[in-house]
Amino acid sequence: MVDSPNTDQIYLQTRDSAWRVRAQRGWELTRTMLANPTTVIGLTIVVLLILMALSAPWITEPNTPDAYQMPRDWSAVRVPPGSPGHILGTTNRGGDVLYGVIWGARTSLKLSLMVVSLTVVIGVVIGSVAGFTGGRVDEVLMRIVDVFLSIPELIFALAIAAVLGPSFTNIILALVVVFWVKYARIMRSQIIRIKQSEYIDAARVIGDSKLRIYLRDILPNSFTPVMVQATLDMGNIVLVGATLSFIGLSEAGIAEWGVLVSEGQAGISAGRWWAPTFPGLMVFLWALAFNLVGDGLRDVFDPRTESAR
Amino acid sequence: MTMESEHPQDDAAAASDKLILSLHGLKKHFPIKEGALQRVVGQVRAVDGVSFDIRSGETVGLVGESGCGKTTLGRCVSGLTDPSDGAVYFNITEGDRDRVDALRDIPDEQRSEQEREELAALDEAHCINQLNEQARRHYRRNCQVVFQDAFASLNPRHLVNDIVGRPLQVYGEASGSELTTRTVQLLEQVGLGSQHLYRYPHQFSGGQRQRISIARALALNPELIILDEPTSALDVSVQAQILNLLHELQRERNLAYLFITHDLSVVRHMADRIVVMYLGKVVEAGRTQDIFERPQHPYTKALLAASPDLSDDTDTEIPTLEGTVPDPAHPPQGCRFHTRCPVATPACGWDVDDVVRGLENQENLFDGLSAVNRVSPFEAQLTFDNEASARALADTLHSNAISASMREALEEAVVRDRTINIRFNPAEEVELTERAPGHIAACVLDPAAR
Repeated sequence: MVDSPNTDQIYLQTRDSAWRVRAQRGWELTRTMLANPTTVIGLTIVVLLILMALSAPWITEPNTPDAYQMPRDWSAVRVPPGSPGHILGTTNRGGDVLYGVIWGARTSLKLSLMVVSLTVVIGVVIGSVAGFTGGRVDEVLMRIVDVFLSIPELIFALAIAAVLGPSFTNIILALVVVFWVKYARIMRSQIIRIKQSEYIDAARVIGDSKLRIYLRDILPNSFTPVMVQATLDMGNIVLVGATLSFIGLSEAGIAEWGVLVSEGQAGISAGRWWAPTFPGLMVFLWALAFNLVGDGLRDVFDPRTESAR
Repeated sequence: MTMESEHPQDDAAAASDKLILSLHGLKKHFPIKEGALQRVVGQVRAVDGVSFDIRSGETVGLVGESGCGKTTLGRCVSGLTDPSDGAVYFNITEGDRDRVDALRDIPDEQRSEQEREELAALDEAHCINQLNEQARRHYRRNCQVVFQDAFASLNPRHLVNDIVGRPLQVYGEASGSELTTRTVQLLEQVGLGSQHLYRYPHQFSGGQRQRISIARALALNPELIILDEPTSALDVSVQAQILNLLHELQRERNLAYLFITHDLSVVRHMADRIVVMYLGKVVEAGRTQDIFERPQHPYTKALLAASPDLSDDTDTEIPTLEGTVPDPAHPPQGCRFHTRCPVATPACGWDVDDVVRGLENQENLFDGLSAVNRVSPFEAQLTFDNEASARALADTLHSNAISASMREALEEAVVRDRTINIRFNPAEEVELTERAPGHIAACVLDPAAR
């Protein structure tokens, strides 16, 4: 048997291999995901968009005092793409389209990250409570979820944002109210499924506490569908958010794709296509890229094959 | 069995006067809920009054078909579900057990103040559902479970290291390098080694996974392990390996096993005693040898006949079991096995439900049924749309379509207009009676007559 002298050695050696095994598993999952070409395309676009958002202050001169406000160049209003100093042209109020596109990515990243993290937390908490307690609490919570789900996403968000008044914070609030329900539902069904598995019984027989069973067994095993949904929502939120901004529920003059499209839409009939087209394209790319990655994740974590991974 | 061979076992039993586990009238009923208001419309009687003991270091085989409540019983014993009635006592002396039996047999309202206090004290000290927090933890540690499906009982995201070491972590027994050392020791005891520490459950074969489960169950040095069909998901050759491993571990550590299985042949060489369950009730219990050599209950005989490698040992006149276990929400009256019993008598408890159970496969017989008025389980009026249907049923009840003993138990099947009145001879539930020392069975057939 193992003597005390080499115990520490085994411990070090094995701790190292535990880490290696987990890393290897992560690498295998990544490799499976990268074997799908559409996922690779989506991931590439996502990485480029995020890089663009993160490096915005270095690519363009940030506007002062608020970098998220469009700079106004009243000396070059409505210039077409390719003009000096305005590669993608300007809007009818002298806003640089390139600046809007780049800082719009930053706005979108901020918006989607905030909404997704808030909704995931709210949804996971509510779903867990419903799944765990069951009975009347579950019934009430799930009926509330049903009510939320029965109203079309966009219309619901629109109504809330309209009531709250036009501001970027209110758009975040409206989106959080609309998007948490899916996570609550996913989490609840996962918990109900996993609660019945034998390894939960096994953990109970050992005498582990409910909280630790939740943290060690239930949460890690139920999180993949939440993650897939979160990735898909990273795209959807920007899409809905841009729509709300387009209608005018965001702050005017903010560097946001929806605002930019709305600022430029009046010029379409006059042939000034650039102001709405470039930001519109960005919204499209953003939503598409995250959806491709989300689908890729879903394929990898398909419940039918998951147990083998 | 001769007296000579019986004595050593008795001495051994007397030496370990401590009972690891004692079940007293254990019941687990699951409510059937219906409708939007979730009204309780019935009870599934999964376990319906089971009593037996497990001594320290002993293996008790709990045998029965699927659906007879043996897994539910295991879950009650391991504390995964609370029993509806009855109690499980842990670490109790035989004297105290007898006292509990006596006290519990007195109806609640007739117990004197003193008796009530005495029972409460015994319950608090030994009944697993009433232990204080500390004693409960002690019980938790001492009663572990090995589940049937080794794959489902291992968290797919945990490494073997985490799985086997977890019990030690939970009780703060070891951490860091000591935890790893003890985990390796446990793995070596079940025939695995340190090279398996950092693998996922899916990287193992079925037998190896079951070994991991066993290692986890051993981690806390329990006195009792509940084995819930530990080998039924395995190949025959692997089954033997796991059984040998369990046997060895028992010898080394003086473990008591509650071995739950549907296959008598599996427990033949493992179990000291066997408890046979049918539809939530014990139908026969006794020493393994007695059960195999002189089975008293027709159900036990049928189970023995169903074990292919044992069939030459038993009377071949008993046919294998046919049909399925009746719905435990409506167990048959009298002896619950009489609906499938090859040697059923008219006194076995034939009831109105048996008419439907026995004839539901007959086409058109119940098509015109419009109303049922149930007087008792043994008497009912069935009203049909027309007189011909009622007559057809009456004719069938007097024909060979139903068994001779059921026909004999049928006291009345009279047709008046469109209504047929069916009445059977009422029968009580069959009690367990002692057939030989330490060998009990619940069957109306007189053992002296055979």
